[in-house]
Order: sequence, then structure tokens, then C-alpha cells
Amino acid sequence: MKKIISLIVVAGLAFVSGCGKSNSSSGGSSNVTGGKKITVALMPKSKGNAYFISCKKGADKAANELGVDLVFDGPTDPDPAKQNEIVENWITLGVDAIAVACENREGISTALRKAKAKGIKVVTYDADALPNARDFFVNQATPEGIGYGLMDEAARLCGNEGEFAIITASLTAANMIEWQKYIEAHRADKYPNMKMIALRPCDDMKDKAQSEATALLSANPNLKCIMAICSPAVPGSAEAIKQAGKIGKVKLLGLGLPNENKRYVHDGVTDSVILWKTEDLGYLAVFAADALAKGDLKPGDKTIKAGPLGELQIEGDSILLGKPFIFNKSNIDQFDF
Amino acid sequence: MKKHFREFSVAAALAFVLLGLAIFAPAFFQPQPLLSLLTREAPTLLVACGMAFVIISRQIDISVGSQFAVCSVCVGLLAAKGWSLPLVFIASVSMGAIMGAFNGCLVAGLRLPSIVVTLATMVTWREALRWQRQGEFVNLPDGLQWLGLSQVMGQWTLILAALVLLALLALATKHLSAGRFVYAVGTDAEAARLAGIRPQLTTFSVFVFMGALVGLAAMMNVVQSPQVDPKSGSGLELKVIAAAVVGGVAVSGGRGKLWGVFFGLLLLACISPALTHLHIEAYWEKAIQGAIILLAVVADGLRTRKQRN
Repeated sequence: MKKIISLIVVAGLAFVSGCGKSNSSSGGSSNVTGGKKITVALMPKSKGNAYFISCKKGADKAANELGVDLVFDGPTDPDPAKQNEIVENWITLGVDAIAVACENREGISTALRKAKAKGIKVVTYDADALPNARDFFVNQATPEGIGYGLMDEAARLCGNEGEFAIITASLTAANMIEWQKYIEAHRADKYPNMKMIALRPCDDMKDKAQSEATALLSANPNLKCIMAICSPAVPGSAEAIKQAGKIGKVKLLGLGLPNENKRYVHDGVTDSVILWKTEDLGYLAVFAADALAKGDLKPGDKTIKAGPLGELQIEGDSILLGKPFIFNKSNIDQFDF
Repeated sequence: MKKHFREFSVAAALAFVLLGLAIFAPAFFQPQPLLSLLTREAPTLLVACGMAFVIISRQIDISVGSQFAVCSVCVGLLAAKGWSLPLVFIASVSMGAIMGAFNGCLVAGLRLPSIVVTLATMVTWREALRWQRQGEFVNLPDGLQWLGLSQVMGQWTLILAALVLLALLALATKHLSAGRFVYAVGTDAEAARLAGIRPQLTTFSVFVFMGALVGLAAMMNVVQSPQVDPKSGSGLELKVIAAAVVGGVAVSGGRGKLWGVFFGLLLLACISPALTHLHIEAYWEKAIQGAIILLAVVADGLRTRKQRN
């Protein structure tokens, strides 16, 4: 009986909204809890940022498929105070779930705790809040995933043997030291014929990365591959390889954003850019928020079935987006961030 | 010889490093990487010359790195809007000069200490840029790189432009009265005033000139690659102050030669690629550069003490 009523309600909603989204209403019986449509509020670090615009695309897709109302708001510029204000508004508004990319870990936690106390489900994505201020963190990449992903791709590009060098942001950056640990572990384990010959810091600047890569190329004639593990180092190294006339002879891969690297990828200088699919991140944030609000996702769960993303692992209270995504010549133009 | 002992000792140190590289890492002397290294340092040389003037006039400007970034991003955005190269060039130099004038007004007009004023502008410009760009690169239109020339031609153009400017500035400090004013104000502002020089105007001009040189340098840097990194120029202030001090510019003002600065810059710029070529770990880079700077300052200190006695 209840199911029939909810079907009528959903059909009615679809009719009223007039969009004719037949797929969302046909599979819609599970969208409605107690006859009420779920509202998920999604906040980026800042609204104008291409990265988050791309996240929102995925979020819209999830909202469409799941039939949830998506509220999207955030500061125009990364502003922790403004983020708090928006969360307060959402509490007043009475949304069912909130998904936030936190600009300031501590700063936003008080507001999120308040939301939780009011029974609103809270998910963080991209950048976490304090653990007690949210239910789950949608984690786009683990250090292990990044390290292994980089090493696998480098080995693939080099044919499993040869010398490679790493350009990092600084020798003291904690996250990069962590990635290097996994890169080295994976190398020793899987690719013993690959040899790491140098580690150079670029101070997180493109220009310095270019100088470093130029010196690396001339000092190491057998160098087969440069692995740039901070984003400015990828285009910086690419420019160095291009100027040295070593396109194709020296492979280049790194962690970075598609837009910063498109030109070099098309010129064949940069082979692979590794990151996660931001659309999937947005999709998963909304999916998880919705599942929490519906009670389909509970603390202690080990996996979550997230529609087209398949079954994803949950480690403690972070939902893992999975392996990083590799952008290359064949797919990089589909992404704009 | 004795008068220019400091400058010659820097040149000798550079020759020593190059000799060492020739023996232990001859691969350092390949034409392409060397040309690339010099091209990368050409803009820095201009900023270092400007910094030399600022220090000689007994001031400091630590906002040059941020000015550099602001000018670079402006160049990128204007070029992307379709402005022609000469217009972008003028815009960049004026932008730098305006930021320099801002520092100059506060330092010379209100007589505030330059370290505090430029610290404030350094942070302000940098954060304004972060707020505006959110770290996003500016993609330049095709054809801007190397001023539309071939890579090698473009590189030589930039290097020669920097060297010609260096020579002109060096001559100007010697033969133009404006150049002498800077030394006079840096040696003793009161004595300069009594001699009919206007110290505040000189200081103001030095800051404006510094800014204009930064604008020019930013332009020369932007045309070296197809994208502008809004973080470019971070740490530039330290690099050029170090080059000036190592090159024999006295921190106490009033003394220094631009050709000394030239060798000082080259010496410091060689360290990082030299370590890569000698396969020494990067941990040493900053330590060695620091030691060189310390050595230069100690040499200065000893010399002043001797003069006093």
C-alpha cells in the first residue's frame, strides 16, 4: 500500500516538475522515505573553481539518478567563515544530508557537529573535517593508491626497466614523502629493474621544476622517465623535455590537473597525468549522503554499492573512491578542470 | 685590483666551480642545457640589478617576488585577451613601476622602514593573486612563446637583451649623475642632502625603477613557456638579495658593482644543476647556497672592520 502511494507521489512530482525524467520516477520508489523527498546539500570549497564545477557535474548525475533534491551552494572564494554560514542556513532549512569539501578542518567542524546534533547526516569529500564532526569522509585517493598508481604507470611507460627520477614539491612535504614510500615499496616489490636515480625538489613552482628537469636530463643521459609528483612540476618538466628535444625519448608522468597539461599531452611530451575523476568524486559524495539519509549506509559498513562506480571499499569511516584515474591523449579532452 | 677585490673573488669562485664541473662532470657543458640555464637566469639578472640599486641606496625590497607574479599573471591575461606584444610589454613594465611607486611613496614619502613596507606589500600582492587565480595557470596564446621566434633564437634574444641592459646600467651608474646619487644617498643621506641631492626623491625613484625592472623581467620570463604559473617568483627576493650580497653589494649601502652581481647570480644559479650533475642529494643545495651568502657577509664585515681601524 505504502509503495503504491509513494509511486503515485513520485509520478505526481515528475508530472509537476514537468521534466519528464521517466527513469528517475520509474526507479523512484526507493527515493522516498515516508513520502518525503530527500534533500542533499553539497558545498564546494569555492564555487568558481573548475575542479568543483566538475565535481558538481557528477553530483547532478547522482541526484538525477537517485531522485534527490540537490542544493548546491558555497563561498565565491575559499572562505571558511562563509562555509560555516552556509551550513547554518542549511540547518535552518532542514536538509536531510550535507556533503562538504572543507576549507578549514577545525573551522567548519563546530557547525557540522551542530548539524549532526539536529539529525542531519554529514559527509565530507575532497578535504576532511574533524572525524567527530561527520559520519563519513569520501576519500578520493589514499597515499597507497597514488604511489602504486604512479609506479605502475611509470613501469608501463618504460617497459618495466630503466632509470627514472622524481621531482617533488619539497623534501619535507609530508604527503609526498608518504607517496614516495609507497612508490619505492612497489618498485622494490614489482619492478626491480626500474631504478630511481634522483629526487629533486621544485619548491612547488613550475619554473624551478623546469630548471631541475633540464639539469636531470643533461646529467643523466640514460634517464628514461621523469615522475613529477606535484602539479606544477608536470608542465615544468614537460617544457624542459620539449626544449631539450627529447620528446618521446624521455617519458613524463605526474600528478596534476588535465587543463594544465592538455597542451603537452597533445604534443606528446607528457604521457600520463594521474588524478581521480572529479565527477566520480561528486557522484559518490551525493550517493553516500543520500544512502546515509535513507539508512542504507551505516557506521561499520565495509562496502558500499555506488551505482555505476560499483562496489567500493570503506576503510573505517572513509569511503574510498578507488584507484586513481589516468588522463592521456585519448581522454584528456573530455575533462575541463 | 685591490679596489675590486670582492668582485674578482666572486668571479674566481665561479671559475673554480666551473673548473671543478669540467673535471668531474663534463656533461654540464652541453650547449642546450647551458643555454637553457642562462635563459632561465636572464630575467633574474634584471631583478638582481634593481635589487643592487635598492641595497646600494641603503633600502631593501622584499616584495619583488610578488610583484613579479602579479606582472606575470597580468601579462598572461592581457596576452590571452589578444593584446599585441608591445602593448603587453608596456603594461607589464608600467604595472611593475606602479607597484614600485607604491612602495616608494610609503618609504620615501612617509619615511617608513622599507623592510616593513615591502613585507606588507609582498604578502598583500601574493594573497591578492591567490584570491584572484586560486592557483590556476594562465594559458598563453600560441606564438607568444619565444616572442614568435625559434627556440634558440628566442633564447639568445633574451640573454643578449639582459646582458645589454646590464652593460647599460653599469655604464649609467658610473657616468650618469642619477647613478651617482644612488651611491651618495646610500653612503650618507645627510651629506647627500647637503650636497644638493634630494635623498627622498632618489629613494622613490630607486623603488620605481626596481618595479619597472621587475615588470620587464616578468615579461622576459613569461615568453619562455606557454603557461603562466601564478606562483612564479616565490622566493625571488631571496635569490636576488643573495646574488647582490654575494656579488659584493654592501648591505650597509653605498657600495657595489653590477658586474659583481652578475657573477654572484651565476655562482648561485650554478649550484643546483651542479649538484644534479655530481649526483649529490638535493638536501645540500640550500645549505651550500647559505654558506656562500654567509661567507660573503663575513668578508664584508671583516673589510668594514679593517677600514674602521
